[in-house]
Amino acid sequence: MKLGRRAFLQFAAGAVGGTLLTPIPWQLMDDSAIWSQNWWFRPSPERGEITKVATTCMLCDGGCGIQARLVNKNRAILLEGNPKNPVNAGGICPLGAAGLQFFYAPYRIAQPMKQTKKRGDAGGFQYINWDEAIAIVSAKLAQLKAEGKAKTVACVSGQRRSSMDDMWRQFFMAYSSPNFFRMPAQTDSLELASTLTLGQHAPFAFALESATYVLSFGANLLEGWGAPGRMQAAYRLWRQESGGKMRTKVVQVESRCSMTACKADQWVAVTPGAEAALALGIAHILVKENLFDSDFVKSYVFGFEDWTDAQGKSRMGFKNLIQLPQYAPEETAKLTGVEASKIRELAKEFAASSNAVVVWSDSSANLPGNIYHDLSYLALNALKGNLKSGGTVSLVPSVPLEPLPELQLDAVAKRGLEELRLDRQQSPKIPVPGNDFYAFLDAASKGAPYPVNVLMVHEANPVHSLPENKLFQAALEKVGFLVSFSSYMDETAQQADLILPNHMALERYDDAIGAPGVPHAYYAVASPILKPGPGTKHTGEVVLALAKSLGGNVGAALPWKDYQSYLQKRVEGLAASKKGAVAEKPDMELWKLQPGDLISANYKDGADLWKKLTSGSSWYDAPVDAMQEVETASGKFEIALSSLESKGLISASELVYLPHFARLSPSGDEKEFPLLLVSYPTMNIANGYLPNPIFMTKTVWDFVLKGKDLFVELNPQTAQSLGMAEGSRALLRTPQGEVPVRVHLFPGARAGVVYIVEGLGHTAYDQYIQDKGVNANSIIEVQLDPVTGLGTVWATRAQLRRA
Amino acid sequence: MKEENNNTSGKGVMGGIIFFAGFILALIVGWVVFPNLLYSQKMQPMNFSHVAHQDSTCEDCHAFRPDGTFTGVPRVEKCKECHESPMGNTEDERRLVEDFIQKDLEIPWRIYSWQPDNVFYSHAPHKAKGVECVTCHRDVSKEKSLPVFKENRLTGYSKQTMGMIACEDCHAERGVNNECGLCHK
Repeated sequence: MKLGRRAFLQFAAGAVGGTLLTPIPWQLMDDSAIWSQNWWFRPSPERGEITKVATTCMLCDGGCGIQARLVNKNRAILLEGNPKNPVNAGGICPLGAAGLQFFYAPYRIAQPMKQTKKRGDAGGFQYINWDEAIAIVSAKLAQLKAEGKAKTVACVSGQRRSSMDDMWRQFFMAYSSPNFFRMPAQTDSLELASTLTLGQHAPFAFALESATYVLSFGANLLEGWGAPGRMQAAYRLWRQESGGKMRTKVVQVESRCSMTACKADQWVAVTPGAEAALALGIAHILVKENLFDSDFVKSYVFGFEDWTDAQGKSRMGFKNLIQLPQYAPEETAKLTGVEASKIRELAKEFAASSNAVVVWSDSSANLPGNIYHDLSYLALNALKGNLKSGGTVSLVPSVPLEPLPELQLDAVAKRGLEELRLDRQQSPKIPVPGNDFYAFLDAASKGAPYPVNVLMVHEANPVHSLPENKLFQAALEKVGFLVSFSSYMDETAQQADLILPNHMALERYDDAIGAPGVPHAYYAVASPILKPGPGTKHTGEVVLALAKSLGGNVGAALPWKDYQSYLQKRVEGLAASKKGAVAEKPDMELWKLQPGDLISANYKDGADLWKKLTSGSSWYDAPVDAMQEVETASGKFEIALSSLESKGLISASELVYLPHFARLSPSGDEKEFPLLLVSYPTMNIANGYLPNPIFMTKTVWDFVLKGKDLFVELNPQTAQSLGMAEGSRALLRTPQGEVPVRVHLFPGARAGVVYIVEGLGHTAYDQYIQDKGVNANSIIEVQLDPVTGLGTVWATRAQLRRA
Repeated sequence: MKEENNNTSGKGVMGGIIFFAGFILALIVGWVVFPNLLYSQKMQPMNFSHVAHQDSTCEDCHAFRPDGTFTGVPRVEKCKECHESPMGNTEDERRLVEDFIQKDLEIPWRIYSWQPDNVFYSHAPHKAKGVECVTCHRDVSKEKSLPVFKENRLTGYSKQTMGMIACEDCHAERGVNNECGLCHK
């Protein structure tokens, strides 16, 4: 039988009919749908037991309590705030919330690496094992020490307020190198301000939770200032309403309408850099109209009235200085752009509020402030009597941890070592030196008076995140050997000769000694949420290994077997003090604590305290009374800096000893650079050691960053005068360099000022982080404060022209 | 014309047969060949005898956690409680101890009732309402060796897993909420 076309069609029709009565089409349809649900790009979280482990966040030095959610105790899937923590009270900042992206980041460094080709050549890195890596460093250090060149070994660390900082100091002291630095921060100048006024080298703390009036001079309170989690909690309290009235009035003095300004009750738009002038203008009214706390000033403030210096010469006091006509509202108005009537209104409001506080941030880019400006804001607080016991301003209390073993150095040797520090070799000498990293870089780039043979970089990425970062690059050219301890392949690690990757912040033992700006004493331990990978090593343990191999003095100075036992030992010391207690409940409202409050210890001994601290609880104690801590010659808060004389700063000028407006002039010709460039931080772009995690970049508005384009903010009038519109492409030039940008018109930007966001423009990491926007640090200019030598920034001269 | 009609009639019968042959063949392919083609037969990484574990209760291994979630198939940590070293001398137990417990590796069990990620299911309310395990799972009380895992080549799920219709029927019978969002959250 021959089957023709017709028969074929008949067969096919039968087959189709039959198929419809089988599961083939229906099952395939269903299965295809299910198949498409499981395509490779769709994340599928591991299933299993969910547990939580509490720890302390080490992504910044805020010291917030966090907890990680784990699946099957081996995969972290979420970070959230720990409600039991008294600093952040359950809150978490965007960086913390996205923190796991660093944990599982593809740009983490898996094992030590050695550069075998030219520095900076990504293809030249070769994996080596830990024994070899530590042997390389220890051989170098041993050789330099034997040659008497120990001082040519230096380190910069981005981790403050931690036992790691103490360990580094101990190591450097024992090794006989004075060149240990921290990445610059606002705290640097605040610590010097407290040294000058109170004789105490401690940062200031502000009782923001109990304040009813917050007068902020440029402090980015809601954009990373202090401990971000604490600021969220404080803001929640401020916004409590009763009888239609907010509990706390927040006044933000700033040139740009920042997020903090937006969320404040009042934004006082001021000429950039003139915030301190406004503070002094307010002080003028307080003094002139007798609105200040005269009892406090009389009993506790030195130099308000005219005073006599060590030479017996009569000097002008702050009272007479501030009443000079140049501080009158009308004059201040000219300087600040704030109307005289507004200045009077602010002064009266401030004076009339029962719990007012002045907070400030004098530099953009979280840099130290101009010391005279820091002193001016302090003077305003002093006039209000805020430094008295239980007042809104005090010092961050020290934590009685076990001290490190005493070194076999006498005081003279220690001082001698300090004198050798590279940043102190400047001429003329810096009168009140602090953490002068910029001065160090300057000397290092000259290689004089002595070179830097080894530079270690710990928890920092200065190649990108140091303002005016080319100063670091210039120094790097003269540095013999660069060791990076970074967990990530960042811009600095790329330049390193040797990378010794640290465990990342969530997988190591660490601690937070005091919370920034928080009045009560605070101590928290970070313990690993998961076991670290085999290829990374705690930098503390590398330091211990180096000490052991160097032996002698150095080995004896650091006797612990690992970092955990070192921390444990420190906690034992804390327990032995019998001070403070462990915060074990949520909503403890520790901000209500007053100096002198008795807190009974709720831990048995060192082991018990360690157990509590490593399970996510934190230690606290009452705040201190700043006036009880005073150690100045006069025994008072010195509004007039009598101690400057003993530091070799003797001047005929009255101003040198008193808070005053001392804005430095940015370099460059005003005609060539008619605009001012000011950088600003935002809460959703990380601007320090860490790059921006992708989750956070997703939240950045497309008028800040669009694709690879960064937008600078410009007042519409300024834009019009420059012939620019929304989205215009432009070239932003400063005496430091030129970058391509786009323009965003923003009425909250001051006329004549260009605002650039901090933290973008990375060139390292991975494709999701690099080449997004430009790095503000590459075009801003840092100026050294003449008194402290610290790098400060208020603005950089700039020009903007169409591209 | 008449002849042509006859021809047509003969062709019609023939055509019917051809149509029917196609129809039958399709049914055979669809009901017999296709199911065997669609599912590949996979073996479990090792055998597990439920009968051999009758000295334990079901809840010793398949328990609710304190947060109300269900452990399902236990992790190797659980096996380790008894089998840190071999208790008998079967090959499977030797592999359990040497390949998994000693190396601290999880056993890659194939889960017969694995549901997609877009299905939210909690054992706890079902247990509370008295639904027996065997309503949805096979009875393992007399099971000496694990059944072959029939894996759908397209979806990767087991043939034995429950389809949505079974959930819906049971919910309908008992007058329980059947809206989409109950399981597809």
